Amino acid sequence: MSKSFFVDTTVCTACRGCQVACKQWHDLPAETTQNRGSYQNPEDLSFDTYKLVRMKEREIGGKLQWLFFPEQCRHCLEPPCRDTAGQPEAIYTDSATGAVLYTANTRGLNVKEIIEACPYNIPRASQDGTLAKCDMCVDRVKNGLQPACVKTCPTGAMNFGDREAMLAMAKKRLKEVQAKYPKASLLDPEDVRVVYLTAFDPALYHEFAVASGYASGITRQVALRKMAAPLTRWIRALG
Amino acid sequence: MNVSRREFIQITGATAAGLAVSGLGFDLSPVKSRAQMLKTQYARETVTICPYCAVGCGAIVHTGKRGAGRVINIEGDPDHVINQGALCSKGASLKQLAENEKRLLEPMYRAPNSDKWRTVSWDWALNEIAKRVKATRDATFTAKNAKGQVVNRTTAIASVGSAAIDNEECWLLQAMMRALGLVYIEHQARI
Repeated sequence: MSKSFFVDTTVCTACRGCQVACKQWHDLPAETTQNRGSYQNPEDLSFDTYKLVRMKEREIGGKLQWLFFPEQCRHCLEPPCRDTAGQPEAIYTDSATGAVLYTANTRGLNVKEIIEACPYNIPRASQDGTLAKCDMCVDRVKNGLQPACVKTCPTGAMNFGDREAMLAMAKKRLKEVQAKYPKASLLDPEDVRVVYLTAFDPALYHEFAVASGYASGITRQVALRKMAAPLTRWIRALG
Repeated sequence: MNVSRREFIQITGATAAGLAVSGLGFDLSPVKSRAQMLKTQYARETVTICPYCAVGCGAIVHTGKRGAGRVINIEGDPDHVINQGALCSKGASLKQLAENEKRLLEPMYRAPNSDKWRTVSWDWALNEIAKRVKATRDATFTAKNAKGQVVNRTTAIASVGSAAIDNEECWLLQAMMRALGLVYIEHQARI
């Protein structure tokens, strides 16, 4: 059964429990950070940071709104990173959960190409060119546990479960939130496995909150690669 | 690359069929679903209480059954009545209390006006603290205030801490500080 997240940013308090729990479970090292005039830290995702609570101060309707966006890989249903790489031994979709997984074989891929292919600007490379991002805690999920970020969330902003259940939860919650925030919306719910609910225009939360240029489908390069894929496979089979 | 006409038709035919089915082309990623083992699979589970604040969240500590029994993972205890599995960012980082190469293992001392820290022994540090507390307290102790009221206090020493001590230790700390005549007794979580 394929899985999905539902992230309700309207109840997120930016405690960053998810961000730390993610580091903790994956044994990722801390980053050197500095005060940039925001509580958000570090500044961006990295090879060692798969989950980041982005914080933005915005004036909306004459009132200050502090917007929180717990960012992570969306685990796209049709991931452009996977299709751009075209190497299932480097980037593949786990068939049981739908998680988009990166392996050590991402080393050697064209880093720039993969990152630019991502409509959410998620993958990050190490110095040696290996790529990393959120893995949906697929080890936990396959053993009946929730992803670390969801397990630790004290407010119920992070939810995880079967895709249908999450979409139903998202739609129900959207109706409730719209009563107070008419501009509330779900972000790309049909395309991704991490469905965000925002109270305001998603662009106010983060530049890449919704897919950039996703509406037009996939890039020409990916389309060509997809069309050539049977040929490539056939050539490989010969080799 | 040599592709015969027949093979070319096969390939383009397959592509066209794929486009018809998916709208974009074949999804050729192989069906892959790997079994994964949890890093906590064979760990010992011990329940504990988060030491940081007064909420008192429950946590499960996973430690290795073999070797030195070091901490592998700490996460919220779903059976705990208070947090039901959740932990904030401080609680989620609990593992670092035990597994942290930056943790100091010996007391450090920086002399007044010095810019260097040096390692000292516990005996030296505790004696030095006791000596200085006694000297400061004796020099600043006030038995009565300007109005002649009995106050028995010193305003030259303050106590800050500690979130990470338990109820009984809190009592001991409080009794000790009150006995010395401190009035500035604060908890660092409030600062």
